[in-house]
Amino acid sequence: MDRRLRVWVDHHRCVGNSMCEALAPAVFRLNANRQSEAFNPAGDSEEKVLEAAESCPVSAIFVEDAQTGARLFP
Amino acid sequence: MGMVTLSDDMFTADVIADPYPYYGRLREEDPVHWNELYDLWVITRYDDVVWMTRHHELFSNAVFRNDPRPAYPAIDESDLGLYEYVRNYQADQFIQHDRPEHLEMRKVVHSYFTPRAMEAWRPFVQKAVQELLDAAEHKGHMDVMKDVATPLPVLVIAQMMGVPAADRPHVRKLAEKLLNIGRGEHDRMKPLTEGMQGMIDYVSPLVDERLTNPGDDFISVLAAGERNGVFTRHQVLVNTSLLLLAGHETTINLLCNGTLAFLRHPEQWALLKEDPEGWAQRATEECLRYDAPVKSLQRIATQDVDMRGKVLRKDDRIRWFISSANRDPEAFAQPDRFDISRDPNPHVAFGSGVHHCLGATLARVEGQEVFKALAERFPSLHVETEVIEYQPSITFRSLKSLPVSWS
Repeated sequence: MDRRLRVWVDHHRCVGNSMCEALAPAVFRLNANRQSEAFNPAGDSEEKVLEAAESCPVSAIFVEDAQTGARLFP
Repeated sequence: MGMVTLSDDMFTADVIADPYPYYGRLREEDPVHWNELYDLWVITRYDDVVWMTRHHELFSNAVFRNDPRPAYPAIDESDLGLYEYVRNYQADQFIQHDRPEHLEMRKVVHSYFTPRAMEAWRPFVQKAVQELLDAAEHKGHMDVMKDVATPLPVLVIAQMMGVPAADRPHVRKLAEKLLNIGRGEHDRMKPLTEGMQGMIDYVSPLVDERLTNPGDDFISVLAAGERNGVFTRHQVLVNTSLLLLAGHETTINLLCNGTLAFLRHPEQWALLKEDPEGWAQRATEECLRYDAPVKSLQRIATQDVDMRGKVLRKDDRIRWFISSANRDPEAFAQPDRFDISRDPNPHVAFGSGVHHCLGATLARVEGQEVFKALAERFPSLHVETEVIEYQPSITFRSLKSLPVSWS
């Protein structure tokens, strides 16, 4: 089983490119401002979450191990 | 109404030389302005530009497919056939599409341009910058545009395409013809179409080769899109040119406008020189904000949209002004001040939303490395001319040249 992740989007950086939502729609969705929110970090596999984070054109997505606090991305 | 009516001619000599007062008046007096002369809406406030870029479903980017109006500024009547060629060429670029097609097309190229992937190009950029500056230093004088800003992006893009060294001069010649995309001269269609067709002729055999023998270059990425049925062959070919059409002039402008901003603000130049490595990142962001490479972008309304009490009708032509948004006092304190310590700096030089510039990280890397290297190697740099001239473009903020010298 995948470990639990803490995932968040820095709204000072997010430009609403929405590639994260396109890649992992069960994890990310755009809010009323058209900025991304990680509404369900457990919605998809760790691999998919990391792929979405890496695909962010402005590096706005952060991923940590929820238990240990270890930074997984960036 | 009590307000002085602004001329709708955005190509007058004084507006081309310094558009900021003109944008500033529109932003204050009529932020959603109908420009009668060019038959388009002019959007100048930061909040409006951000809102519009994030509502892509209301503002189509399939401009060349959906806008039947003629080229502006006007072109020679004998070149109308060439303009049709340009329209068809541009219309097949992935950026000239809307969702859902745009998303499928962008996915093909998106992972090639991630921040991490582009950061890996930094050593190549550093080396290219040093070599260009070595040559300029040897000469004893330099035109920042001709000697650094124009060749650098082509070196990087040619490498991305996997162009053999022997072919680089040919690609550079084509790239210089493609720069006519952003010009205002009435006879620009001929060199532009020569560049476009020249790229198709040059790239076609490369695509064939990389369909059967893929590498890690950008043409292989596009060829994979053809294999998967996302791109037609023509789309592969025009999207290869898109690297130059979207990545050349824009980078030239970042490097030249940024350098000029530094040389006109000696205290900011002094600050950069104190710690070039430490300031390079924030300095580049401020250059992008203060004198943005792209002044404005066009869209077509997909439905009626209410904005600030006006109605933008379906099929209306719209231009949002990045350069104006970046100087909006509601978004930036002392917006007309060039200040490299500005942080945060949420400028919209790369746009926003689903069409946010694919090459943004690469442009940033090139800006950071050039500004850093200039500050380290040419601390006494100064502008060599009194006459600073710009290209008559509504889209690009392009200098004609930037001669500099040092002691």
